[in-house]
Amino acid sequence: MQKDKDTNIDTSNSLLAIKGLSKSFGDNLVLDNISLAFEKGKTTVIIGQSGCGKTVLIKHLIGLLRPSDGSVYFKGERIDDLSEHKLQKIRTNFGFLFQGGALFDSLSVYENIIFPIQQHHKIKNYEKLEEIVKTKLTMVGMDGYQGYNPAELSGGQKKRVALARAIALSPEIILYDEPTTGLDPIRSDVINELILKLQKTLNITSIVVTHDMKSAYKIADRIIMLHNGRVVVDGRPEEIKNHSYPVVQQFINGQISEKDLKTIQLSSIGEEVAKLQ
Amino acid sequence: MSDNRKRSMLEQFGGSVITGINHCGEFSRFHANAIITSLQAFFIPKTYPLIWTQMLAIGVRSVPVVCITGCFVGMVLAVQAYDQLAGLGLEEHLGVLINISVVKELGPVLTAVMLAGRVGGALTAELGTMNVTEQISAVRSMGTDPIRYLVSPRILACLLLTPFLIIYADFMGIIGGYVISVLHFGINNKAYWDFSASGIEMWDISIGIIKGFFFGAAIAGVSCYKGFNCKEGAAGVGQACTEAFVGSFIFILVIDFALAVVFKGIYASLWPIRSLL
Ligand SMILES: Nc1ncnc2c1ncn2[C@@H]1O[C@H](COP(=O)(O)OP(=O)(O)O)[C@@H](O)[C@H]1O
Ligand SMILES: [Mg+2]
Repeated sequence: MQKDKDTNIDTSNSLLAIKGLSKSFGDNLVLDNISLAFEKGKTTVIIGQSGCGKTVLIKHLIGLLRPSDGSVYFKGERIDDLSEHKLQKIRTNFGFLFQGGALFDSLSVYENIIFPIQQHHKIKNYEKLEEIVKTKLTMVGMDGYQGYNPAELSGGQKKRVALARAIALSPEIILYDEPTTGLDPIRSDVINELILKLQKTLNITSIVVTHDMKSAYKIADRIIMLHNGRVVVDGRPEEIKNHSYPVVQQFINGQISEKDLKTIQLSSIGEEVAKLQ
Repeated sequence: MSDNRKRSMLEQFGGSVITGINHCGEFSRFHANAIITSLQAFFIPKTYPLIWTQMLAIGVRSVPVVCITGCFVGMVLAVQAYDQLAGLGLEEHLGVLINISVVKELGPVLTAVMLAGRVGGALTAELGTMNVTEQISAVRSMGTDPIRYLVSPRILACLLLTPFLIIYADFMGIIGGYVISVLHFGINNKAYWDFSASGIEMWDISIGIIKGFFFGAAIAGVSCYKGFNCKEGAAGVGQACTEAFVGSFIFILVIDFALAVVFKGIYASLWPIRSLL
């Protein structure tokens, strides 16, 4: 039944779609025949264990990685086989927040944020540009840090500056890779509100990778869970909450499985070290 | 999986040959792309500030070390060659020997080797770190070509400045040779310069300088390639730097040999109109 649903992806009418996507690195099959379509103006949250391929999946959406098999569509046009040069134009429709921020450490916060603007527009009015930077930084609560270097910021602050850079070009689609990881609960909620606000006021489409279930329930129109390279759940937040599949319940409740628990209890860590002496 | 260990020698050898050819192909593509982009960038005023910054880092800061190299080469040649020539009563010819070695071979090659260490190492480490922290992916994600933004300015700066650094090295080599020959060994000043002038043509100096363009492009190209393909972690960056230096060094020697052959051919064909040059 799952299979049926997969092949019925409507690539021409959805904003962004993937069809039969597989990706392997050497012998390591990370994504296994995944098909999804993302609707305009909706927020989709992707959850799943660390290392299950969430980052790999969203990198395919802007062509940072090329599929081993399958295809990716943006506004009905196939993009996974485009040349790097042609992809450049398409990527300006996207904002991408990297898991580690990926701020340019040779540039100041200000220069980081104007980078995408400078690359795609001829700037004449520098006062206006400063205003734009100020607005974007205020959105993420980082106004006043314009002159700082990334090295002088904490992990959470870097993430927020990176988010300001991702929204600098006011893109249609924003891909967030763990936007709230490493932030305190209040800052996390600020980011949640920001994502909601961008959706409501500008009708922006968001795809959010996260481990933070509280944030997921708050912002998601739809939650997708990946497990072993496949989509195991795809539905509205309420559907996920009541899902019967044990892997899902363990994940959303943050519980270790019985099997893993046993292995931890069996290995007597202290004694082994004692035996060495 | 245990079959892996039993792979025959032939299989392993074949495997490494294929990987090697793949690397060559990838490198050629990277380099060709980089050269084309650099040529384009040369006519786009937007990249001038980037080239300028790199010129400062690559060129200006290398002047002292290149001067020291040149000076010592000249002095060592004088010390080593004096006894041989004095034994034959030809010590007044010392100038030709030193100066032709310096301007034709040792000046350009040793300058290039110095730069491969100083500049190549720094370029690889910088770009390698940018690669492992996903800053290069970030450039791509914002619709900018990382070759144009990161590689071209470095190649252009290196290509344009290496010939000038060779001029510095040549000059200091000549001074070094003079100091030892005339001031220390007491060779007649006029004879020293007369023999030097009669033995060295503008051609000899020019080919030394022309080599600089090729050396510069090779050093920057190899270093940027290694940086772009750097493996993760601190060890990855270190390894990339080592490989970049060894790679650049071999390239310098190969280019030096190839150019020697080519220039010899050109010189022979120009021999009849030599007096006009
Ligand atoms: N560039 C790469 N080369 C090889 N393996 C990779 C690469 N990127 C990711 N992987 C592998 O893909 C798997 C999924 O990684 P990732 O998508 O980063 O996980 P996560 O769901 O935590 O974001 C991991 O097992 C990782 O080892
Ligand atoms: Mg990830």
